[in-house]
Amino acid sequence: MSEPKNAVLPKGVVQEEFNKAVEKFRTLLGEDNVLLKADQLVPYNKIMMPVENAAHAPSAALTATTVEQVQGVVKICNEHRIPIWTISTGRNFGYGSAAPVARGQVILDLKKMNKIINIDPVMCTALVEPGVTYGQLYDYIQEHNLPLMLSFSAPSAIAGPVGNTMDRGVGYTPYGEHFMMQCGMEVVMANGDVYRTGMGGVEGSNTWQIFKWGYGPTLDGMFTQANYGITTKMGFWLMPKPPVFKPFEVIFENEEDIVEIVDLLRPLRMSGTIPNSVVIANVLWEAGSAHLTRAQYITEPGHTPDPILKKMQQDTGMGAWNLYAALYGTQEQVDVNWKIVSDVFKKHGKGRIVTQEEAGDTQPFKYRAELMSGVPNLQEFGLYNWRGGGGSMWFAPVSEARGSECKKQATLAKRILHKHGLDYVAEFIVAPRDMHHVIDVLYDRTNDEETKRADACFNELLDEFEKEGYAVYRVNTRFQERVAQSYGPVKRDVEHAIKRALDPNNILAPGRSGIDLDTYNKAL
Amino acid sequence: MSVNRRFVLKGMALGSATGLVLGGPAQALAGVATGPAGKAMVPAALVLVNGGAAEPDFLGGAKAALGPQLQVQRVGSNLDFVLDFERQLRSGQPMRVIGLLDDASAALVVDMARSAGARVQWLGQHTAEAGLTRHRLLNTDIAEGCSRKLSRQLHACGAGFSLSEERQNSAALPRQLAAISRTGSQSGQWASSVGYLLASLGTRQFMASPRVPAASAPFTGSFVSFSIEA
Repeated sequence: MSEPKNAVLPKGVVQEEFNKAVEKFRTLLGEDNVLLKADQLVPYNKIMMPVENAAHAPSAALTATTVEQVQGVVKICNEHRIPIWTISTGRNFGYGSAAPVARGQVILDLKKMNKIINIDPVMCTALVEPGVTYGQLYDYIQEHNLPLMLSFSAPSAIAGPVGNTMDRGVGYTPYGEHFMMQCGMEVVMANGDVYRTGMGGVEGSNTWQIFKWGYGPTLDGMFTQANYGITTKMGFWLMPKPPVFKPFEVIFENEEDIVEIVDLLRPLRMSGTIPNSVVIANVLWEAGSAHLTRAQYITEPGHTPDPILKKMQQDTGMGAWNLYAALYGTQEQVDVNWKIVSDVFKKHGKGRIVTQEEAGDTQPFKYRAELMSGVPNLQEFGLYNWRGGGGSMWFAPVSEARGSECKKQATLAKRILHKHGLDYVAEFIVAPRDMHHVIDVLYDRTNDEETKRADACFNELLDEFEKEGYAVYRVNTRFQERVAQSYGPVKRDVEHAIKRALDPNNILAPGRSGIDLDTYNKAL
Repeated sequence: MSVNRRFVLKGMALGSATGLVLGGPAQALAGVATGPAGKAMVPAALVLVNGGAAEPDFLGGAKAALGPQLQVQRVGSNLDFVLDFERQLRSGQPMRVIGLLDDASAALVVDMARSAGARVQWLGQHTAEAGLTRHRLLNTDIAEGCSRKLSRQLHACGAGFSLSEERQNSAALPRQLAAISRTGSQSGQWASSVGYLLASLGTRQFMASPRVPAASAPFTGSFVSFSIEA
């Protein structure tokens, strides 16, 4: 029988070497956990980026179920110089989906490592494997009637805490800065060692999920948005479920209001009066989330003109900006804070306050309230229908939580998007001092010309924002090398020095965040 | 309520609305070979749609291939359906699913196929605009000949279109096919043809899919087609 031949191979790996590795993977994992057939790989290759799927086509996908198997995979990869791209649930839709950063990389899919190892309802901590989804956790908490609340990103039930935290994603509750709430990791290193961060190295320790820092250097952050190891367990803190939860919305009619909104909000966030990750969504984010489509309003190509946006506001009651926040605590605490918050917005006079009682089950209020209270839903997927065509890239620059800065970023982004015939579909996620300015660059992947425009638009967004001293905190796999350049050469030198020390064979996700010993060395 | 039962009830509701004859879920999920008399035997399939403008034409094409055993489920992007669908794919029972959905629902369905370990033979992104349609396909060898068949049928009815086809695990560049409209408008023929081709995948015996009536009103929008096997 002739040896199998693959048209897609990892870069620099010849067929014979690949076949040897595949045989070893089969012995280690079993035939069913080594996926090579085209119809097994198509679902790993559904991308939303403005390139051919072939640019991100995997050569194979592996599924592992134990830490020992992950160690075995790493060993084989070292022996045959096979680059692996690790995913947990793979639901990083706007940031690159499940597909690898480079064609030919072998996907290591950890979806089957899906054990909830521990939830401690007293200390309010969790320890989970990478394949655990927020949906699993939600069901577990409900079934066991635990007084705990989850924080998750919009794909909620189908995404997972390990993947989201390792990509430094955010949620919408007071525990919305997920990496801040992470406590303890177990990481399989490129040499096969199993490293536990924080207190995890202390034999018999019961504080691994309690105390983050341990002793000496604290390295947890080094493994996020990085390719220095494979996280096989992660601990994190859970918020005690408050007796009272009061979500609300404040609707602002004019785009210019963003300056005052942010400046009003910042002191409330810094003082903890409003404790959660507040969202300020623009009208198009609202419209998409409410499952409106662009075609209902306009069929002309290009961006949606402002008069149409105004008409949408009039038709739906949505604002140019729509602020969603919530109060949590006892009735007394919520009452006191509600008076402070509502007085601020009433005194300002421009915003229209909407409470849960007034909103009822209307969207998008309902799904926002659910996200802020740890109840999963998939409502926000409606954004993909706004323009249609399957193209979506999240451009997410960081901004100061200062009104003038947000206005400057919003104006700049809108100008560039409109220049390229695309819509400004945006939300700000508000921390006390920073804002994640998340823009969904939506375009039609069936249209070659529009796809090229979207690509050019994303590049121009990166370039023009960089000129103003802004950079994104996270990006899809097509642009990871480009964004790494924004952060300067010294950071990159340090990152590659660490990579050389920990993964000299460059097998772990080369290209992740622009860290790739092959290409970076050549550039020197 | 079990997923199977839900499939049946939803299928029945739609079936009675559209006049389609429905088979039992076990038969469809087991992929039992069936088909209209005199035509190639086509494995039964569950057909997912969600009420888009292309639905009648897509179902018409699928029905022409599947015959009276067509089983239809109208779906959405709500969490209950998505999680039920994944559980069903994971159940270990053979299952063949084709569909034409909006972008949001399809993103979820295809991703559930991945997490459930199902196989995807065809993933098509379709845009219908005034005067033309565009199709971007990612498929496998089992779909060999489909894009040519689709383009021939569109050309035959005078529709303007562009089509790009990528083959998974292939070193070949994407296949590009295109024609300008001879009639000045497009029709739902593409949806009918895609429905027929997906329902016939694997048989390699593509008959002509039914021609949609020339007078059928053209529609616009964005759609995603797929073929999944568990």
